[in-house]
Amino acid sequence: MTVLKKIIPPDDWKLPVIVLLGIIIGLGIYLFKISNAPSYLSESPTTCLNCHVMTPQYASWFHSSHRENATCNDCHVPHNNIVNKYFFKMKDGLRHSTIFSLRLEPQVIHIKQAGLEVVQENCKRCHESVNQNVNTINVTGVNYSHGDGKLCWDCHREIPHGTVISLSSTPNAIVPKLDSPVPSWLSKLLK
Amino acid sequence: MTENKRKSWVNWALFLSTIIVVFFLGLLASSITERRVEEQYVYKPTVQITETESRNEVWGKNFPLEYSSYYQTADTSFVSKYNGNAMIDMLEVDPRLVVLWDGYGFSKDYKQGRGHFYAIEDIWNTLRTGAPTGPEDGPQPSTCWTCKSPDVPRLMSVMGVAEFYKGKWAGKGEEIYNTIGCLDCHDPESMSLTITRPALVEAYERQGKKIEEATHEEMRSLVCAQCHVEYYFDKKAVEGANYLTFPWDNGKKVEDIEAYYDSIQFSDWTHSLSKAPMLKAQHPDYEVFTTGIHYERGVSCADCHMPYKTEGGQKYTDHHIQSPLNNIDNSCQVCHREDAEELVKNVYDRQDKIIENRDKLEELLVKAHIEAKTAWDNGATEVQMADILQDIRHAQWRWDYTSAGHGNSFHSPIEVSRVIASAIVIAQEARIKLATLLPQIGFTGTVVYPDISTKEKAQIFIGLDINKLEAEKKVFLDNLLPTWKKAAQEREAKLDVTYF
Repeated sequence: MTVLKKIIPPDDWKLPVIVLLGIIIGLGIYLFKISNAPSYLSESPTTCLNCHVMTPQYASWFHSSHRENATCNDCHVPHNNIVNKYFFKMKDGLRHSTIFSLRLEPQVIHIKQAGLEVVQENCKRCHESVNQNVNTINVTGVNYSHGDGKLCWDCHREIPHGTVISLSSTPNAIVPKLDSPVPSWLSKLLK
Repeated sequence: MTENKRKSWVNWALFLSTIIVVFFLGLLASSITERRVEEQYVYKPTVQITETESRNEVWGKNFPLEYSSYYQTADTSFVSKYNGNAMIDMLEVDPRLVVLWDGYGFSKDYKQGRGHFYAIEDIWNTLRTGAPTGPEDGPQPSTCWTCKSPDVPRLMSVMGVAEFYKGKWAGKGEEIYNTIGCLDCHDPESMSLTITRPALVEAYERQGKKIEEATHEEMRSLVCAQCHVEYYFDKKAVEGANYLTFPWDNGKKVEDIEAYYDSIQFSDWTHSLSKAPMLKAQHPDYEVFTTGIHYERGVSCADCHMPYKTEGGQKYTDHHIQSPLNNIDNSCQVCHREDAEELVKNVYDRQDKIIENRDKLEELLVKAHIEAKTAWDNGATEVQMADILQDIRHAQWRWDYTSAGHGNSFHSPIEVSRVIASAIVIAQEARIKLATLLPQIGFTGTVVYPDISTKEKAQIFIGLDINKLEAEKKVFLDNLLPTWKKAAQEREAKLDVTYF
């Protein structure tokens, strides 16, 4: 209760504080909404299109064999346990959003070591049955970085994003566009 | 009511810091909104571009991204193992070239070219265009301008192609002012890729092909093939004109073009030492590229030298035409997943191995020329020398075909190696014939080869007064050239630009 006493403002200040708190929280909610933050908890591939640099990846996936069976998270996020899944998502997401906000994305995006390890594990997770009798099941991203073994996509190179990697590689692809943050009832009113 | 124990300044500090936090939150929100909006592509033309608009700056008003990336070709800071974007005095790097081109302009001055930004400046400055004193003076014809400026299609549309090819280089000095640019490759109304140089269209027609049917991907190489090709001046096609022609009628391989030139008994010059009827290869980049694996896989010139870039929602072509070695991420790694260092090593390995044999070939050619001169000096007859001179002609043509295009050893290493090997065989055949001939005409000593270890020594050996040439050039640069620039600027100042 003493903590509460310390932070509750004196009477004269109560109103300004309330208003200011409202402003900050309102802005926070606005930020939340326009950055589509809640979408990141879902498994939907359209979430990854919040950043338009992912258009070629979405388009190539959409035209690949994996479209019906695997979404972005199925390959790019670890599924060994639930804590690791959300921890990795958070780590990855924070990194991506920082780079995107600072406009640091390169023209040609190559997967990094952490992402590479996750994808390799996920290839094995789904395709275990065809690999368990051959040595390919033993390759991990870690072994690969030490020069031991080939990753699944060193041979299966087109899977699923194709061999041409660039922000410009699918310029005319039709992908779901971001919805306007303005709700339809409001834009009708403003017509 | 709890007594407020905080000092008032603390409250003010809290108030101000909240303002700052909220302000920055707002900025972050704005940046997010901005990035959402840039998903859309917006093209806002500001000026009307006419059919004869040769000024790149005007095009740049409508296409700022392409324009600003194009003018980065002014950069000269990149150096690769053998080339780069700075000017390199090739005669200094390899003085044998002076002897190989004895009697021809290239022995005076041969520098590896820099970016397209410098096309006009460098043609003014090279000793090969000499020191004209007026519009009808100087060693070179008007045709030499053809590949240097968008003023060329402008003039051709006004005066006609054959007329353009008539007269001296200096005759059009006042008209040709803008460096290689937009009008050379793009249609002013639709911005499509288009061919503006008649020589390429005519070469296609003679082969029974229609260049209008080329696909967009093929066009991304063909616009470069307007100029980055082997050519010659046909003096017989139109009276008084040096008609720019591509020697592709038999095909684009080195043997095909060699056979074509032999069949019309064409030579670019007669070698001063050996008196061989020589051929100069000018940058057969496209011909060699079409024999390589990248072309076979459907890659075009622009895919590597002008890769696509995306900024926001806008995909555009990076018009900074340069060595892909300076842009490995976007040129090579779009398709090749290896590390940049490994890819560079792959390029240098191929260049190293080819240059090993190319250098050997140059040594043999120099020796062949000198041995031929020795034969002439000892009374050899034309009949005795005829086959030898043809061999020297062919061997040097093949050497030049592989060397004149600076990317050739990467664009098609197997073909280039094959051609150099065939040239070595021919050069040695010539030398065997000479070795047989010399004792027959009474020469039993040893042939004296000169010391040509530096450009200076080589130019003295062939009897070039380089100081005189440079002094004459300076007179041109100080006197006639400024009048050209002034006339061009005055003419352009009168041109209108229509804004939308």
